[in-house]
Amino acid sequence: MTLFELVIRSMRKNTKHYYLYYFALIFSTSLYFIFATLQNDSSVITASIGNIQFSSMFNAAGILVLVIVVVFMIYANSIFLNRRSKEIGLYQLVGLTHSTVARLLITENALLGMGALLIGVGGGALVSRLFVLILMKLIGIENPVTLSFSGTAALQTIIVFSVIIGLTLVQMLFKVYHTTLLDLFTANRQGDHPKQPKTVLSALMGLVGIVLIAFGYILSAHTLGPNLFLQLATILGSTILGTYLLFRVTIGWLFFRIRKGKGGQLGLKNSLSLAPIMHRMKGNANSLTLITILSAMTLTMVAISYSLYYSAESESRGMLPYDFIFENNEQDAKSFRAELDKAGFTFVNRPVEAIRLQGAIGQNEEGSNLLLLGAEQLQANGRDIVVPGQGEAVWYTGLRKALSKELDTVAFPQAVDFDANGVQVKLNITREVDRYAMNYSIYGRQLIVPTATIRAIREQMPASPEYEAIHIDTYKIADKNEREAASGIYAKVVKGNKLSPDFDTFYKASLRKFGLIIFIAGFLGLIFLISTGSILYFKQMTEAEQERKSFTILRQLGFGEREIMGGIIRKQMFVFAIPLGIGLMHSMFAVKAASKLALSDLTFPTAISMSVYTLIYFVFAILTLVYYRRIVRAAL
Amino acid sequence: MNQNTMQKTVLHAQQVRKSFGVRGNVQQVLRGIDLRVVEGEFVGIMGPSGSGKSTLLNVLATIDKATEGKIFVGDMDISNMKNAELSDFRRKKLGFIFQDYNLLDTLTVKENILLPISLGKMKKAAAEAEFQAIAADLGIGEIAHKYPHEISGGQRQRTSAARALIHRPSIVYADEPTGALDSKAASALLGMIEELNRQRNITIMMVTHDPVASSYCSRVVFLKDGMLYSEVYRGSKTRQAFFKDILNVQAVLGGDHVDSV
Ligand SMILES: Nc1ncnc2c1ncn2[C@@H]1O[C@H](COP(=O)(O)OP(=O)(O)OP(=O)(O)O)[C@@H](O)[C@H]1O
Ligand SMILES: [Mg+2]
Repeated sequence: MTLFELVIRSMRKNTKHYYLYYFALIFSTSLYFIFATLQNDSSVITASIGNIQFSSMFNAAGILVLVIVVVFMIYANSIFLNRRSKEIGLYQLVGLTHSTVARLLITENALLGMGALLIGVGGGALVSRLFVLILMKLIGIENPVTLSFSGTAALQTIIVFSVIIGLTLVQMLFKVYHTTLLDLFTANRQGDHPKQPKTVLSALMGLVGIVLIAFGYILSAHTLGPNLFLQLATILGSTILGTYLLFRVTIGWLFFRIRKGKGGQLGLKNSLSLAPIMHRMKGNANSLTLITILSAMTLTMVAISYSLYYSAESESRGMLPYDFIFENNEQDAKSFRAELDKAGFTFVNRPVEAIRLQGAIGQNEEGSNLLLLGAEQLQANGRDIVVPGQGEAVWYTGLRKALSKELDTVAFPQAVDFDANGVQVKLNITREVDRYAMNYSIYGRQLIVPTATIRAIREQMPASPEYEAIHIDTYKIADKNEREAASGIYAKVVKGNKLSPDFDTFYKASLRKFGLIIFIAGFLGLIFLISTGSILYFKQMTEAEQERKSFTILRQLGFGEREIMGGIIRKQMFVFAIPLGIGLMHSMFAVKAASKLALSDLTFPTAISMSVYTLIYFVFAILTLVYYRRIVRAAL
Repeated sequence: MNQNTMQKTVLHAQQVRKSFGVRGNVQQVLRGIDLRVVEGEFVGIMGPSGSGKSTLLNVLATIDKATEGKIFVGDMDISNMKNAELSDFRRKKLGFIFQDYNLLDTLTVKENILLPISLGKMKKAAAEAEFQAIAADLGIGEIAHKYPHEISGGQRQRTSAARALIHRPSIVYADEPTGALDSKAASALLGMIEELNRQRNITIMMVTHDPVASSYCSRVVFLKDGMLYSEVYRGSKTRQAFFKDILNVQAVLGGDHVDSV
C-alpha cells in the first residue's frame, strides 16, 4: 500500500470518527470568513452607520475571534491526537519510521485542513449575506445591501487558518517524535487513580476556593473605586483562582465525603457518575476551569449587550423624557406646533416654567448651575412625579448609581443655598432620583420643586446675573410611527445651536450602536459557545471510549441499558451542569455589577440571553448522551 | 444417574445449538448440547481450543442467545426471554467470574463486590453483613478499600469471585478464572471456590484448559466440535486420582497440551 492510499484510508476512517472536529473547523473558518468580510467591506457598515469607531470595534472583535479559534484548534487537536495515539503507535510498531508516520499525518491533516478551509470559505460566502441581513435588521436599517465575495477576506482567512493548521502540524510532529511507543499505547489508559485526599489540607484548600469566589463577588458588588483597573483585575484573578480550586479540590473533596459516607455501597448510578468523575478530577480541573470561565465571559458579554439593545428605548427615555423641547424659544415652538397640526399628528404640548441659578449642593461643593423645575407642571404632563413639600426639592441626577461617586459623599436631606442679590433661599433636598426630569441636554442640575417655590424665587430675585428665568415648551408625540417625521419637522424648524437632541434621533442612534454591539457579541458568543461545547463533547467522547469496557462488564453482570444510561445521564449532568452553573453564577454577579450603569431593569433581557445560551449548551450534552448510548448498546 | 434425579435441577439445557455467520457462510459452533446440572454441583467444562466452550458458557449464561434449543434455570425458561428480562434475570440469578477479572477500575474492592446488589432492596446493614461474610471467606477483608490497580492478580480474581457470589445466585459461571494467574494463586483461588461450593452449596460451572483446575470440580464435561464428548465424575476419589482420569480422557480427545500437577 502506498503512503497516499494509507492517507486516504485513514482519512476516511477519521472523518467518520471525528466529524465534529471537522465540523467545528469548518464552522470556525466560515465564521471567521464572515467576520473578515464584514470587517473588510466596511463600506457596508460605515455607510449605514456612519461611524468610524465601529470598524475599530470590529477589529478588536476580530482579534478575540482569532484567539479563541487558535486556543480551540490547538486544544481540539491535542484531544484528537491523544485519541489517535494508539494508531500512531501501531504504525511505528509495524515498522514505519518516524518520518513516514509524520509525513502520513501531515499529508492527511493538510488535505483535511485545506478541504475544511475551502468548504468554510465557500459556506461563509453563502451565508454572509444572511449575517449582513441580521445585522441590518438589528440596527434598524431597511435598505437592501449588496455584498460581493470579498477576495481580501478570503485571503485573510486562508492565511490565518494556514498558520493555525501549521501550528497543529507542529503539535503532531512533536507527538510523533517526542513520545515513546509505550507512552502512545498507554495514552488512552484511564488517568490518575483517586487518592484519599489529605482531609484537613484539602478541606482547607477547598474552603479557600469558595472564599476566593465569594471575595470576587463581594468586591464586584462594591462601587467601582478610583483604582478601577486594579479592582477589576483582583475580581477576575480571585474568581478564576477560586474556580480552579473549586474544580481541583473542593468538588473532589465533597465527592470524597459523599462516597465515604456510602460505606462501599455506592450503587450503580454513583458508580457511573461519581466514581469516574473523581477518577479524572485532577486531569479535568484545567479544562473545566477554562470552560467555566469562557462560559461566564460569554454569558456576561451576551447578557449585557442584549440588555443594552433590549433597553435602548427605556434608556433613551431615561435621558430624554420629552420627544422635543424648546428652551426660551417660543417662536420656534409655535411654528413647530403649526407644522405638527398641519401634518395631522397627535401630540401633547405643555409649557414648563423653570429657573436656572448658581448654588451649591452640600458644604464642600463649589457653586454650580442648578435648574429648578416646577413639579406640578411636570406632573400635569402625565409623568410619574411626586410633588415635594414646601421648601423641599428632589434631585433628578440622571446618573447611574455606579457612576455617581459624588453622591456617596452627600447625605440626604441636604441643604442648598442660593445667594443672589442679597436674598437667600434655602431648599432641603430630600432625596435623589437616578433619572432626568427634563431632557438631559438642558444645562444645569435638575431639581424639582413645587411651582410655588419657583414663583416665589422669581419675585425675590429679579434681574440678577446668576439668575435666569426659563420657559420650556415640551412636546410628546403619541404615535411612535409619527416620531420620525416629527423629528424631520423639528430639524427643519429649529436652526443652528438651538437644536437639541430629540428622542427619536437619539433612540435610533443608540439602537444602531447597541445593535452592532449585540451583533458582535452574539457572533463572538456563538463561536465561544461552539468551542466550549465541542471541547466538552470531545472530552466526553474520549471518556466514553475509555469506559466502554466498564459498560461491557456491567451489561454482563446484568445491568440493563436503561439503568446504565441512568448513571451516565447523572454523570453528564455533573460534567455539563457544574461548569455551566458556576459560569452562570459568575456572570450573574458580573451583570449585576454592570447593571448599575444602566437606567433600566436588566433582569428580563439577562434571563432571556442566559436561557438561550443554556439551551444551545445542552444540545451538546444531548449529543454526548447519544454517543454514550451507542457505545452502551454495542457493549454487550 | 440416580444421584442427579434426587437433587434439585438448577440448569437444564436441551438440544442447544448455536451458529454464527450469515446465510451462505454459517458456522455451527454448538451442535445440540444436552446438559443437566443439579444444585451444589461444581462442573468443569474442558475441550480443545475452538470446541465451543466459551460459546456454550455464554449461551447458558444468557450473555449470548442460542440459535435453537431450550435452557431452563430452575423452572424458568430463559430461551424465550426478552433482552430486558434477561438482564434482570442475569443480575439476580447468575454470577460471573471472568479470566481478566472484569473489575471496574474506578471502584474500590468493596464497591465492586457490592455492585450486583446495588439495584436490589437489600437493607444497608444486611448488605454490609453479606460483604463481611464473603470477604472473610475469600480473605479480602483487608483490601476492601483498595482499588483494583493496587492489588495482586489473585486478589483481583478473589474480588471477582466475591462479586459473583454476593447476591447468592442460583449458579455461578466462570470462564478460565485461573487463566491469568500463576499456579500458586490459581490453586489458592480454586481451593477457596471448592470450599465455598461445599459450605454454601453453591452451583458452579467453570470452563478451563487446565486439568489441575478441573480436578477441583465434582464433574468434568468434555466438549469436542460443539458436541458433548464425554464426562467424568469425581465421586469420592481424591483430587490426584480424579486428575489422572481427566488426563486420560484428554489424551483420547487430543488437542490440548497437558500440565503436570
Ligand atoms: N462472535 C462470533 N462470531 C463468529 N464466530 C464465533 C464467534 N464467537 C466464537 N466464534 C467461533 O466459534 C468457535 C468456538 O469458539 P469458542 O470461543 O467457544 O471456543 P473455545 O472452546 O472457548 O476456545 P478457547 O479454548 O480457545 O477459548 C470458534 O471457531 C470461533 O471462531
Ligand atoms: Mg474460550
